[in-house]
Formats: sequence, C-alpha cells, structure tokens
Amino acid sequence: MRLVSGTVYALRIPFLESVRHSLAGRTWSDSVVVRVVDEEGIEGFGEAAPRPYVTGETPTDVVAHLARVLWPTARGVAVPALRDPGDLVAVERLLPDGGAGAWRHHAARAALELALIDCVLRRHGVSAATLLPPRRSRVFYGGVISAESPTQAARQARWIRLAGLRQVKIKVGVGDDIARVRAVREVLHPDVTIRADANGAWSPAVALAAIEQLARYGIASVEQPIPPGAPETLASLRSRSALPLVADESVVTPADAEAHIAAGAVDAVNVRVSKCGGFARSVAVARRAAAAGLQVHVGSHVGETAILAAAGRHLAAGLDTVAHVEGSYGTLLLVEDVTDDGLRFGHGGEAPLLTGPGWGVAVRVDRLRRHAETIVELT
Amino acid sequence: MTLRQRIESLFETQVAELAASEAFRRLEGGAAERAAYDRFVADVVRTHLKATEYVAFLCALAAPPTSESRLRNLLEEIHHPGLLRQLAVGAGLVDRLPELEAQASDDIRRLVVEPVLYRTLGEVGLAAFCEVVAFEYMLARLAGRVATFLATHRGLGPSALRWWTEHADVDVQHAAEGLEDLETYARYYGLEDEDGLAIAELTLRENVFLRRYFRSETPAVAAAERESLSCAS
Repeated sequence: MRLVSGTVYALRIPFLESVRHSLAGRTWSDSVVVRVVDEEGIEGFGEAAPRPYVTGETPTDVVAHLARVLWPTARGVAVPALRDPGDLVAVERLLPDGGAGAWRHHAARAALELALIDCVLRRHGVSAATLLPPRRSRVFYGGVISAESPTQAARQARWIRLAGLRQVKIKVGVGDDIARVRAVREVLHPDVTIRADANGAWSPAVALAAIEQLARYGIASVEQPIPPGAPETLASLRSRSALPLVADESVVTPADAEAHIAAGAVDAVNVRVSKCGGFARSVAVARRAAAAGLQVHVGSHVGETAILAAAGRHLAAGLDTVAHVEGSYGTLLLVEDVTDDGLRFGHGGEAPLLTGPGWGVAVRVDRLRRHAETIVELT
Repeated sequence: MTLRQRIESLFETQVAELAASEAFRRLEGGAAERAAYDRFVADVVRTHLKATEYVAFLCALAAPPTSESRLRNLLEEIHHPGLLRQLAVGAGLVDRLPELEAQASDDIRRLVVEPVLYRTLGEVGLAAFCEVVAFEYMLARLAGRVATFLATHRGLGPSALRWWTEHADVDVQHAAEGLEDLETYARYYGLEDEDGLAIAELTLRENVFLRRYFRSETPAVAAAERESLSCAS
C-alpha cells in the first residue's frame, strides 16, 4: 500500500462552553485533521491537537510541518500491512522523528501516524484492536472541571454528578483553588475520586504549600504542579509532597519518560496520543511507565474530535493497567463532531469498545470542510 | 425561584438569542439570499418532522396529573408533519423531502443508539421534555414573525405557512401548560430542583433553536478573541 494524496484541515469548531486552566482559556477546538488516500482510494484519518506549551506547536506549525516535511516522507512509500501487535514497532518506524528538537513536532507526527494506521487497517478491513487488543470490555471516562469561579465549578460538578462520573479532575493554579475544590467536593459524592491539575502553574515552594492545602480536601493526586524542567526538581518536590504527583507536560517523549523514571520524579504519567507523537509512542511511553511501577493515566486534549477520541479509546482499552481515562466528550463540548455517531460516553462515563475498521469511526469530510479555517491539499 | 421560573428564564434567554442572531435578522430583514430561506425551511422541516414521535414518547412518560394535557398535545401534533410537508412543497423543496425524511429518521436513530448520559429514564424524559417545551415557548413568540418574513421575502402563501400560523395561534397556551407540566413531571418523579435545573441547563447549553434551525449554516465562531495562548490542556 502506498499513500498517494491527502488533505489537511485546520479546524475551528466552537465549544459549547469555554474551558480554562492556569495557562490559558479556549472557546473552540483548533485540531488539525489529516485525511490520506492510498492508490486504491481508501481513506484514513488522523488528528493533531497542537499546544504551544506542550509540544511547541501551533496549528499553523502543524499544517506546515505536515505539508513540507512529513508528507513528502510518507508519500509513495510502501507501507506494510498491520496485522498483529508486533506491527506497532513497524508503525513507529514509518515516520521520521522530527529532527532537531524532536518533541516539537509530536502533534503533527501523531496526525499523520494516526491517518496512516487508519488507512492501512481500513484497507484490510481490520480494527485498531488488532494492534492493541482490548484488555477490558468497556472504558470508563472521568470529567474535567475548568478553572472557573466556585459557583461555575459547582454547576459543572452538578452536571458531572448527573452523568454519574466516578473520577473528576479539577484545574487549579488559578484564582481561589481551595474555594473551587470545596465547592466541587460539596456537590459530588464522597466516593468520587477528585484529582487536581495545575498545568505547571506553581513554583516548587508554592506547589508544596498548595498541595498540603489540597490534601485536606481528599484530593487523590496533583498533576503537573510545576512547569516542565529538570526531573530532579520534580523529584525533590515529590519527596516532600503530601500527595502523589502526576507528570503530563513534563513527559512528552520516551526520553522524558526514562528521565523521570530514573529520577523517581513522579507517581504517575498522563499519556495523550497527540502529545506523545502518535499511537505507537503512546503505547511505548505507557508501557515503560507501567513497567517502572508508575500509574498510567490516559488523558486527552480539550476539544479533541472523534478521531483522537477513538485512538484514545483504543489506547485506554488495550493497556494492561490504566488508572484514569479522560476524553470522548464529543458534543458535550463541541457544537458538532466530525462523525455522525459521536463517541461520547454514557452514564457513569461508560463507553463501548470500537470495533469497526481502522479507528472505528466514520469521518464526515463535509464537516471537516465546514469547520476548516485552512485546507491544504497534499499531492 | 421555582424550577419552572428558572427553566422559563433559560427559554427566554434562548428565544432572545435566536431573535437577535444575525442569521435570523438577515432572514427577517430580507437581507438573506433565497437559498438561505430554503436552507432555513429545510432545517425547520427536518427538526419537526418527527415531533409527533417525540411528543408520543413524552406522553408515555407523563406524570398522571398531566396525562390529559400531554395527550391533547399529541393529538394536535399528529397533523403537523402534513403541514411541514406542505411547507416544503410550497417552498419548492419537494425533491428534498425524501432526504429530509431520512435525516429526521436518522436523528431519532442516533438518539436511540447514543449512550445515555443520565441515570434514569425519568431524567432522559425531562431532558426531552425541556427541548419540546422550549420549542413551543419559542414558536408561541416568534412563529408569527417567521410566517411574515417567509411571506414577504420568500413569497410563501398561506397554505405553505399554515404550520407557522397554527403554532403562532395555539402555542402560547401550550407553552404555559408545558412549563407547568414540566414542573409537575419533575415533582412526580422525585427529581430535585437542582438536578432538574442541571438537566435543563445541559439540554440548553447550546442555543437549541439556532442549532436546529440553522444547522446548514456555517457555524459562527464565538466572538471572543483568541487569547495569546489559546490552548487548554
């Protein structure tokens, strides 16, 4: 199989409600979707969720890197069939690393890798579960509470309570965190697990004090308390922290994972397909973390469409152990998703496995066109 | 505030947003192209073509004190698909009717197969009830204006416009009755006010009228400017 053409869509899909955390707020999804086509006309779809402060990429960077660097590398190259879990290694080798500052192009790489996998699997009529067989029959998602006022946070918590979600992550590091956490705690049942995510908002000293306060409200862990940097700094904080720490922005590449494991910097790693540079690398980072005894969380970028959500679903279903899963918010957040049958979870955060060919979602090109700010043809 | 008042306040906001929206104002002011009127008519037909089925579903769930009014509502609703087809034909969209029928059916199919967000059928019913009554509430206030602009700017005659004019005539009563029935429903099934309001808020997070009636239009990105780092998690 060879890829012969493609299209890149830089999307702007409005949100139903703004989402905020310590680094920024957003009111729309700016995912970049790639559609590839092989010589038989079979399509495949992939998606990037560019974040300047995570992988250094903007949507414009992703579009440019896809068009100028990744596509010329992938076009016309013979791609082997992907028939069993061992072929994940072959997937990893299909695309270049990104050269100097490799982490910078992770989202772009993820988009093309996902599209390529989708196309190959569709051609052979097999599901992505072939590459990562499911270890569970259902995936259970948690909710995220934005860094809003306590009143707004309580309102979101009531929605989460109605939806019966058992795990919640609250964005902290902005405004009155304790008031927000208290307001959410008052709404949710005591058996709902609440984690906090600071998105690197604090210095180590501030983090230590904040974590101590959060611990009084039954918070289970704190994600990315300080900005990404030397793993030793995080390790030092961890040694004095009242709560387990989770690395997100700090662990983007497999090398980051190794460094944080070696330093004993964290208790858990949050793996996100776009951040980690694709499905194969996400599996690799998650497996390495699990082998080192760390908890694995499968996270998502706010505003992901059904494409990244589907890849995340396969990842969450197929890893040996997964402590928390986020994503698949679909039209709970987006005014419209890119598929007819959305991937949104149901009550309790429960979602079925995806069994259709490729990622198991039927992408509507008309919707991509409808929400695209930029369309670039790949020839 | 009672649950009814809080839900009515959500409805009021959404009706005001619809009337103030650029898409609606362009149609009402005669500034839209003919194709925009046709898209609007097609979206309206698709939205309401299966309304009888939705209302029948609510009939099945109705709290006993409201059974009679819900049944009456269903009986009135039964001839509306015919009026919607009349609207489509009058607008010259007869060729599109099979497609619109199929889309309306598929909208129901998706509702049925999509994972249910709520814990009980009672909660699902309240969400559906909110949306149905929201439309009754809006039509009671705006149907007459829509009929006028479709007549003035799109040249539709009284026969094509009957769906609109009937709603303008009867739905003030429906809307008031619907709101009362909503509250009765919540009480009967033991839904707390906070949960009832949360369900209404979730159902009406996006403007339900704009979402349904202008689904063929390019979505308008929120006016808020992109922040310097426009990214979240």
